[in-house]
Amino acid sequence: MLLDFSRMGWPLKAGLAFIALLTAMFLMAPIVFIVALSFGSSQWLAFPPPSWTTRWYLQLWAEPGWIEATWNSLKIAVLVSILSVVLGFFTAMALVRGHFRGKALLRAFFLTPMVMPVVVLAVALYALFLRIGLTGTLPGFVLGHLVIALPFSIIAISNSLESFDFALEDAARICGASEWTVRWRVTLPSIRLGLGAAALFSFLISWDDVVLAIFMATPGAETLPVRIWAALRQDLSPVIAAASTLLIGTTIIFMLLSALLGARTTKTST
Amino acid sequence: MSTPNDAFLSLRHLRKTYGGAVAIDHVSLDIQRGEFMTFLGPSGSGKSTTLYITAGFEDPTEGSVVLNQKNLLGVAPSQRNIGMVFQRYTLFPHLNVAENIAFPLRVRKWKEDKIRDKTAQMLKLIHLDGFGHRKPSELSGGQQQRVAIARALAYDPPILLMDEPLSALDKKLREELQTELRRIHQETGVTVLYVTHDQEEALRLSDRIAVFNKGRIEQVGSGSDLYETPSTRFVANFIGNSNFLPIELSTHGSGETVYVLPHGGRVTASAASIPVQPGRPAVLMVRPDCMRLKPAAQTTSDGASLSVRVRDRSYLGDTMQYTVVTPWDQEINVRMNASASASTFWSAGDEATLSWDASRGMAYQDPL
Repeated sequence: MLLDFSRMGWPLKAGLAFIALLTAMFLMAPIVFIVALSFGSSQWLAFPPPSWTTRWYLQLWAEPGWIEATWNSLKIAVLVSILSVVLGFFTAMALVRGHFRGKALLRAFFLTPMVMPVVVLAVALYALFLRIGLTGTLPGFVLGHLVIALPFSIIAISNSLESFDFALEDAARICGASEWTVRWRVTLPSIRLGLGAAALFSFLISWDDVVLAIFMATPGAETLPVRIWAALRQDLSPVIAAASTLLIGTTIIFMLLSALLGARTTKTST
Repeated sequence: MSTPNDAFLSLRHLRKTYGGAVAIDHVSLDIQRGEFMTFLGPSGSGKSTTLYITAGFEDPTEGSVVLNQKNLLGVAPSQRNIGMVFQRYTLFPHLNVAENIAFPLRVRKWKEDKIRDKTAQMLKLIHLDGFGHRKPSELSGGQQQRVAIARALAYDPPILLMDEPLSALDKKLREELQTELRRIHQETGVTVLYVTHDQEEALRLSDRIAVFNKGRIEQVGSGSDLYETPSTRFVANFIGNSNFLPIELSTHGSGETVYVLPHGGRVTASAASIPVQPGRPAVLMVRPDCMRLKPAAQTTSDGASLSVRVRDRSYLGDTMQYTVVTPWDQEINVRMNASASASTFWSAGDEATLSWDASRGMAYQDPL
């Protein structure tokens, strides 16, 4: 077949490898660039950096607002992932196991934040939160991010619930387990990969979001991406590159953690 | 035989409907302590529904389930203290074999050292010592079902329910597990309710078999009861091989009941037959292995006989199976011991006399 890699001649293989390399470079270049700049000594973000330094990180640490913004981002992202997994679990249970009219409609409704432009959502939430005094507050950020994170949780958890055999619950019940024990000791452990994926997606969605956060933020209460955005508009400083590297670094750490966790669980369960 | 009071498990007048559809009706059954009772029937016959009502996963529309003098209706499955093995593999995938067996004990808050002892004892019972640390996914299907049996028996439940536990296994493994099951039943003395659609499995395992059809129990009895004297045409057809000859009642004299075959021949049948109404068609069931082929001229005085033509034969090792055709052009199967009849193999086209012991024939008539 034309698309069977192992049967291609070497010119085709080499061509494909080249395209793959270019694509990877295109994707990776900005990240490598920004990390390099954050350690570069040039104040004007000259590339390649004339020499290396960590002073921008020290400045990041010393300048007011950065640490606070990072801490805000972390708090919000952790709260969002916890709430998103809990709500996502109950929603997914209803959508997978429930038998009621309008189930498909409800499912579509829960997934609309995925297809709706975030900026539209942001404006609407801003108008509402302004009225009830939630802008610039922790609950405001968390609720806003929860709206865009929840669909991903619901999808991840629904998928793992669909492959979960509910006969296991009956087996646990006849063994003498109460409904609470059944959920806690059988259902949840069996779908832990889905729960983990839901938590990770939710964390990253909140951690990465800038659109909703800009609307929610008030001068004193902002997230790391908002802080970067605001700093960029004032002046172009390598401190921003350092902050961005921090943002990327945290994301990579979480991705690696989840990959490790996934590798370990699949290894022990096969 | 047994009054409801001395039965260990008593199912009484169970009826279950889903909307307008009747799943089971008039299901009543008494099971003795230590008995291996099998529910046998085609799919949709109500056997699984009856089992699930016993487990508590379904509630009957009418009737009651009484275990050891105690009414189980309204008691949650988790509170019934019943063991159950399912058709699908239901070991908890995140727990290893020992933890799976210990699960019901942990739920019951047993002490850790008691749990350890009991788990080891159960692993020994199912001949899987040393497998405690394996994950269910590292076990074969047969091993998984054995662990499921150990988990279901770990808390010494008074009854063990089994819902076609071997149906996912291949034939050879299934027969091995059947032998294991018999041994486990004998060693533990647990009362077993077993559901299957496989008559061979039912005959091999059970003390008694309840044959289900269309939501009702057709007959309850030992394997030989069901094979020798099936009380309905359905049971005769479902258990073992059978020939059905069309008959009509001839004379209902003072002594024997005589039936007329389509070509005018007269036969008698077992006294255990259900009385047949005159003037309506009925059938005479004779097992293929109760029939003999004899030379055409030879007539028999002791039983029933028919002139037939041999159409085909197939050699099955221990037996020879003949297909013969009656004067009214019906195909009949005859099974004869191959070694004993080795000198007189019949060939296609031969004329012969088909005979059988009249008392082995059972007459049935479909209700109006």
